[in-house]
Amino acid sequence: MITFEKFKLANGLTVLFHQDKTTPIAVVNILYNVGARDESEDKTGFAHLFEHLMFGGSKNIESFDGPLQSAGGECNAFTNNDITNYYVTLPVQNLETAFWLESDRMLELAFTPKSLDVQRSVVIEEFKQRYLNQPYGDVWLLLRPLIYKTHPYKWATIGKNIEHIEQATMDNVRDFFYKFYCPDNAVIVVGGNTNFETVQNLAEKWFGDIPARGKNNRQIPEEPKQTEERELMVERDVPSDAIYMAYRMGHRMTAEHYIGDLASDILSRGKASRFHDQLISEKKLFSSVSAYITGGWEDGLFVISGNLNAGVSFETAKQEVWKELMVMADTTLDKDELTKVKNKFKTGKVFSEQSLMNRVMNIAFFEMMNQLDEINGELEKYDAVDAKDIQDFAKKTFVKTNLSTLMIKGKIKENK
Amino acid sequence: MNRKTAPEFKQAESLALIFPEKIELENGVELFWMKDVKDESVKLDIEWFAGSKYQTKKLVANFTNKLLLSGNGKRSAKTISAEIDFYGGYVQDELDKDHGSVTLYGLKENFKKIFEIYSTAMMNCEFPKKEFEEERTIALSKFKIDAEKVKYLCQRKFNECIFGENHPYGKVANEDDFLNLKREDLKAFYTQFYLGTKPVLFLVGNVDDDVIEDLRTWSKKLTNKRVDFKKQKLVSKVGRTEILKLDAIQTAIRIGRIAVDKDHKDYFGLQLLDTILGGYFGSRLMANIREDKGYTYGIGSGIAVLEDSSYFFISTEVGKEVKEATLKEIYFELDKLKTELIPEEELTRVKNYMLGEFLRHSDGPTAMMESFKNIWFNKLKETYYSDFIAAIHRISAKELRAIANNYFVHKNMVEIVVG
Repeated sequence: MITFEKFKLANGLTVLFHQDKTTPIAVVNILYNVGARDESEDKTGFAHLFEHLMFGGSKNIESFDGPLQSAGGECNAFTNNDITNYYVTLPVQNLETAFWLESDRMLELAFTPKSLDVQRSVVIEEFKQRYLNQPYGDVWLLLRPLIYKTHPYKWATIGKNIEHIEQATMDNVRDFFYKFYCPDNAVIVVGGNTNFETVQNLAEKWFGDIPARGKNNRQIPEEPKQTEERELMVERDVPSDAIYMAYRMGHRMTAEHYIGDLASDILSRGKASRFHDQLISEKKLFSSVSAYITGGWEDGLFVISGNLNAGVSFETAKQEVWKELMVMADTTLDKDELTKVKNKFKTGKVFSEQSLMNRVMNIAFFEMMNQLDEINGELEKYDAVDAKDIQDFAKKTFVKTNLSTLMIKGKIKENK
Repeated sequence: MNRKTAPEFKQAESLALIFPEKIELENGVELFWMKDVKDESVKLDIEWFAGSKYQTKKLVANFTNKLLLSGNGKRSAKTISAEIDFYGGYVQDELDKDHGSVTLYGLKENFKKIFEIYSTAMMNCEFPKKEFEEERTIALSKFKIDAEKVKYLCQRKFNECIFGENHPYGKVANEDDFLNLKREDLKAFYTQFYLGTKPVLFLVGNVDDDVIEDLRTWSKKLTNKRVDFKKQKLVSKVGRTEILKLDAIQTAIRIGRIAVDKDHKDYFGLQLLDTILGGYFGSRLMANIREDKGYTYGIGSGIAVLEDSSYFFISTEVGKEVKEATLKEIYFELDKLKTELIPEEELTRVKNYMLGEFLRHSDGPTAMMESFKNIWFNKLKETYYSDFIAAIHRISAKELRAIANNYFVHKNMVEIVVG
């Protein structure tokens, strides 16, 4: 049971507090309502580049990290297609330091040319290190535009290509800040061994005078339903062929999210799962194969990805995956199979809630999705999924007109 | 509203570390138990002294550890896995050069069942041909993919050069080693180490006495023995070793040397120096090579301590075109620490950061158990962590400069460049 207290400042900033008396560490998490989905197609990678710039100094404070380290604190951030999230952990007696630092960079960034130049290079290196210089690193750069034709989910958070980041100007950066980084577009969650009154006072003191600049009321048209099967094959310098199959499904807060999550576990979680048993063990078609859901806030994907064993054709791989999906669509699930994945979920949830940071982040996410009341309803939602739900989901989702497939043909010759 | 002045802050206070209760099971098997857990979680770590250094043939220790639940004629790997899953259990295997371990995760209500299934399977493992071949295919495929990564190749070469390619810590496997592996090798290693030596157990969870009794019953089947291991002489290959990878767009770099054990008088000082150099986001290396030059997404340093040795290392991946420039800056930073005293402001900041880190790493029973394991495996004094805190407070810039001069000598460094 995650407990919390909530209030709102006059400028629109939502503040939440989650008490935890068992730890000496406090967490301050700020979630901004901006992600890659808010970029324009000719200027992608901005939300993420901007996340880097947020650490480059603010109006009154030259360095974000330095004063935080002096207070025994640590910080990090991440960006995805939906949101940008910043978090600080530090000894609870130094809570005010976090408020001072976070509020100043919400107020105004330093916008130095040096910061932009350096972070541009850093992000370009990140692009290379994670997406271009790794085997199968650019898969999502290829798969996204295959699935999404109009929706901003069609480009990856890192950006469509390196050039957009190379061409980013200081004006672009300033515009982005003033448009999205404001109190009425953010949620701050504090967790730790303190009290609500302290948090309210600190929030009022440090964030109270930051002007509202307008909530991000995005109106992104839905990606139309897919009506035809899509495929793309590319060659890459990789040792084994790989396949990625993506089906459209409901977004994070739909019933489908929970059903799909359990369905993906039934298919591929663990050695006793259907994919492992049939596709790896029995038929020896794949060296690895997994099913998972993406949980996007505006649209979801059910993804199957795998590395083919040598000598196995893409046709065979696709056919055999289909067979398994049709088994799920056509036959009633064994009760034990469903109990198994639910029990694993329960265990995972207990371990995950041990972390104060996880609890605090979840509060932020649920509040931002306007679903705060649902935060303690997760277990119930998973428990409510029955065999018929899984079967119906499979029947609806696993159809050819809902499928986009990316095939990576390996170019590396084996040493015999 | 004065935003220019930092609010007052306090240095993180030390936390009293809670040590687990020790229970002697049978056959000399020790169980360390952290019982005060506020939720239903149970985590059991079983560690054997069965790391890769003990193997006489490459990959044997690794495959044996991974296949402990591969089953036998009566109960297959699939059945075992499905049953553990059914009770909401997770099994994680792990191997390093010194230890082979298994960690079980579950909730209190089902843990007795999870352990029963696990221990029965583990004690009656026959390494069936099917599971063995399957694991070989999977592992070889993963190996081929890893072999395309500059970071992976760099790490391997570094180990070879720091310890020597014939040293148990330095040996690396190649594709042929996967093909030459036999089931008999695994069975022999399993019999000698997993059935024939005693593990040590670390339990975090509010379990009932019946679970402890089950652990005791299991320990009756084990053997009160540990395998003697003769430390081998190591020979570092200093200087630069380069591997070209023409299609790479980044170069992986690793620089380092043999260091000291955790009970050495220089260890805490080296730890502090290492943090300043490359152990946190504001470090010398990060500030220069990432935040000033933009050469990389990440650069850092660390000290790795094994049972028989330890080493210091710096590692990064940088754009190919700035490879030489990066190396120049790395040595520049090492030299700076040998000639200039670290300014008081920076030293205080890093000390405060490290004290905060210590708090983060002592937060909760699971974290405290990890701290205890460090003391137990490295045979350290019980006062290790309070000594650490005292040392952090005490160590001066002069002392750090002396340590830098001792350890950051170019000609003693191993330098690996891949890409």
